[in-house]
Amino acid sequence: MIRLYHIGKSYGDRDALRDVSLHVEKGEMVYVTGPSGAGKSTMLKLLYGAERPSTGKMLIAGTDVSKLDSRQLPSLRRNLGVVFQDFKLLPQRTVAENVGMALEVIGAEPDAIRRRVPAVLNIVGLKGREEDKAGVLSGGEKQRVAIARAIVNDPAILLADEPTGNLDGAMAVEVMEILQAINLRGTTVLVATHDVGLMDRFPYRRLRFVDGRLVVGSTLGAARR
Amino acid sequence: MNQAFRHALRGLREHTYLAGVGAGVIAAALVLLGAYAMIVGNLEAVVSGWKRDVHVSAYFAPGQSAEVQAAARSELAGRPEVESVEWVTSEQARTWMLERVPEVEAMVKELGEGALPSSLEIALRPAYTSPEGLDAFAASLEQGGRFGDIDYGREWVERSGAFLRTLTILGVALGGILVVAALFLVGNTINLVVYARRDELEILRLVGATDSYILSPFLVEGAIQGVAGGGAAVALLYAVHRLVVARLPEAIPLALGEGGLAFLQPSAIVLLLVTGVAIGVAAAGLAVRRFLSRLA
Ligand SMILES: Nc1ncnc2c1ncn2[C@@H]1O[C@H](COP(=O)(O)OP(=O)(O)OP(=O)(O)O)[C@@H](O)[C@H]1O
Ligand SMILES: [Mg+2]
Repeated sequence: MIRLYHIGKSYGDRDALRDVSLHVEKGEMVYVTGPSGAGKSTMLKLLYGAERPSTGKMLIAGTDVSKLDSRQLPSLRRNLGVVFQDFKLLPQRTVAENVGMALEVIGAEPDAIRRRVPAVLNIVGLKGREEDKAGVLSGGEKQRVAIARAIVNDPAILLADEPTGNLDGAMAVEVMEILQAINLRGTTVLVATHDVGLMDRFPYRRLRFVDGRLVVGSTLGAARR
Repeated sequence: MNQAFRHALRGLREHTYLAGVGAGVIAAALVLLGAYAMIVGNLEAVVSGWKRDVHVSAYFAPGQSAEVQAAARSELAGRPEVESVEWVTSEQARTWMLERVPEVEAMVKELGEGALPSSLEIALRPAYTSPEGLDAFAASLEQGGRFGDIDYGREWVERSGAFLRTLTILGVALGGILVVAALFLVGNTINLVVYARRDELEILRLVGATDSYILSPFLVEGAIQGVAGGGAAVALLYAVHRLVVARLPEAIPLALGEGGLAFLQPSAIVLLLVTGVAIGVAAAGLAVRRFLSRLA
């Protein structure tokens, strides 16, 4: 599903990623981990097209996205769900509106949106909260709305950058359980985190980055050299 | 389109204050432009009124018979430069004078015939009212010796011509400055609006919205702000115009033509509204595009 070959990303003379090669298979769930500044967020940014790699080649679902131009970005994003530490919800809009946005932009009919949104809220455990304003929800609830928005289009891949970073223990576990459930439905899931406790509790393959290099977890011999 | 419109209305509802500021800035810019257009329009009307009033008074030399005078009149009426000729006999001139300034009666009597000679009041076609045209025409009258004095306020014509030129240059320069200032002000305001809504733009981008999907509600909002701002500007200008017109006659008894101080022509009002919409749409388009181009 995701194939990276010798990917490098530099900001000026600072290398955020160096010679990263890896494969993530369809339906897999993996962690992107490592110390602060290791390049975890940069890794995900390349995948959802917020940044372009400086070197190397990357394929997502068979499509070369190394040199994506801005007109191709929407179609990549519609096939990807992304979740962040800070949720990125519109607090003055309702839960249903926040989730429905992702359907509206792909031109879904209002009827279809009305049917689909409650179904997704059900998956993330927020059934019946459609009309609440997103701003009044707790942190864990906000993250679950963000996840609902990310998966409402049935994307092939879900990317989560420190999704539990702003949440306390119990809520973090809830969010991980939801990501796990989504993975079990067939979605490929990448979670960037440095929470070792959570990774031990939900054990999946770990792609460990240090100083921009992938040091553990690549399924490719080439990356180890 | 329908969706863009709904989203635009939602945007205006969610950011009423900023949208109001945007419309207000457009209104302010258009009030300046409109007031300026009104002033220039009226001044131009005044000056071209002066030009239209340019006429040549040709006073007959003493001793020209009525037949000679009548012949001169019809000859002049036939010339291409001449729009109309009015024959003012010395009796008419005298009556006219005494009606207005009865005090001079004794003086007029004493001076006799020669004080108020008969004359031809000649109005020229606009194409011949330049200082040079007037000179040439006057020179042609001086030949033949029928006329004594020829009076045509050349200096006045020169000055009003220069005034009109200055007005036009000032007009273009000031108008340009105003438009640029308006665009700058509105652009900055819309940048603020876009900044306030950066989260929304970022999220839309994230969930795969195309740029035109993101842009179109903003363009509709800009158009609505333009219409609102334009309407407010026209209303304000109208109120000010009424106020000024109500006080002007006593304050400055200026010859402003039959209509007095004119309000904007309907075409100028339409132009003002169109300008408002154009400013709103252009500023929104530029601001959003610029923001999107920097957004991941
Ligand atoms: N836009 C940028 N401009 C310059 N340098 C950047 C930029 N983004 C990231 N970097 C640098 O790249 C390196 C990797 O950053 P990245 O955000 O990927 O780290 P991270 O692993 O996500 O860290 P954290 O755990 O703190 O989130 C860092 O040294 C960072 O300073
Ligand atoms: Mg990070």
